[in-house]
Amino acid sequence: MNKTIRTRTWILLFAVLLMASLAMTAWIMRRKAPGTTACIYSDGVLIRTVDLNSVTESFEFSVISERGENRIRVEPGRICVVDADCRDQICVKKGWLSESATPIVCLPHRLVIRLEAGSADVDAVSR
Amino acid sequence: MKRKNAAIRYLPVILLLIFLLTGCTASGPAQSLPAERTTFAMDTLMELKAYCGDDVLDRCVERIAELEKIFSVTDPESEIYSLNDTGTSVLGNDASILLKEALSLCERTGGALDISIYPVVRAWGFTTGEYRIPAKEELAELRKRVDYSKVEMNGSSVSIPDGMMIDLGSVAKGYCSDCLAEMLKEAGVKSALLNLGGNIYALGTKPDGTKWNIGIQDPNGSGYLGVLKASDLAVITSGGYERYFEENGKVYWHIMDPATGEPASSGLISVSVIGSRGVVCDGLSTALFVMGLDRAAQMWRDSEDFEAVFVTDTGSIYITEGLKDDFHTAGAYASEEIQVITHE
Repeated sequence: MNKTIRTRTWILLFAVLLMASLAMTAWIMRRKAPGTTACIYSDGVLIRTVDLNSVTESFEFSVISERGENRIRVEPGRICVVDADCRDQICVKKGWLSESATPIVCLPHRLVIRLEAGSADVDAVSR
Repeated sequence: MKRKNAAIRYLPVILLLIFLLTGCTASGPAQSLPAERTTFAMDTLMELKAYCGDDVLDRCVERIAELEKIFSVTDPESEIYSLNDTGTSVLGNDASILLKEALSLCERTGGALDISIYPVVRAWGFTTGEYRIPAKEELAELRKRVDYSKVEMNGSSVSIPDGMMIDLGSVAKGYCSDCLAEMLKEAGVKSALLNLGGNIYALGTKPDGTKWNIGIQDPNGSGYLGVLKASDLAVITSGGYERYFEENGKVYWHIMDPATGEPASSGLISVSVIGSRGVVCDGLSTALFVMGLDRAAQMWRDSEDFEAVFVTDTGSIYITEGLKDDFHTAGAYASEEIQVITHE
């Protein structure tokens, strides 16, 4: 009788641990969901990160380096360069970044905005 | 009886141990994080990722800087600048290998690729970002300076006619990826992904042994139109969307047709070339874009060193037969029918 109870306790403990592990796994997976955090690099140095999913109100800020200025706008779930004093305006034309196929790059100012972790199903994009 | 009890008693512990010890192999030491480097070179952003020591990638970054210094058209200290400036030059090892390779690609594509197109590209403003539409007479005059067959190469000594300018930009990144891949393989690296401004080289496989998944940029949007499984392959795309300007509602892109001196209008808006040699893929992606679908398909039938993905201005996707098992469409294109180009 005693032994049966002990076995049941073990089984129960195991079940609880299993459930806890599954819950933990789900939590970790959710935390690492791709395309949620935007990383802003200036000349290869990470200068700021923005968690796009936690943004409720839009805001703007500027990245200024000796090469020039990029005005960046953040809205819930997405980010873009709205204005820049660079020669080609490619970063502005690129528009919103919300899924992480390719980063926004401003070559003249060496500015890169990329979404963390990248898209889940591709490793790189040929363009 | 006692033995059986013991087994039952320890069964949960054993199961728990199995569970705990096998559940997290994906982040175990066998698959540690890759070394990564980002560098700006050759007028683009280059991202290197490799499963190896940091020193190997540092050498790759040095090699990129070295190659840029040789091939730059605008750096007065580069070998190519000096050739364009003086009309004659004795090239170093890299420059003569690449120039020879480039000239053979020009010939192979019947001039659809022409490394002497630079004065025309410059006239359209694509080298500075100050875009303009050159007058017909101006283009006619400039086109007289465009003809790769007038480049004379004797070993490493090269001479070009007066007024001609050589730009190896259409093959330099492909060549660069080949050089890096070779360095990495020599260092024993089994898994690396080189992204030279969208020119991809997938070395080996992912650490888990599966092929790399390479997206092909959607020419009409920000996502990708399909995914290609690749191992030890370069995947290089040329598209009109990369660099362009609009005037009076018309789009002018940076890929020039050497025959007209104007942006290529062959009915293709994107060409991806896949093969084991980056330099070949790089040059061919531009050339096939200029040639158009029919001539490009014929070129593929006559060749054995590449496969390709084409997107037409009507939105149709064509792939060559060899990609049938490794390419699938994605996202907005998932239900799109893929046309397969065969040897028939």
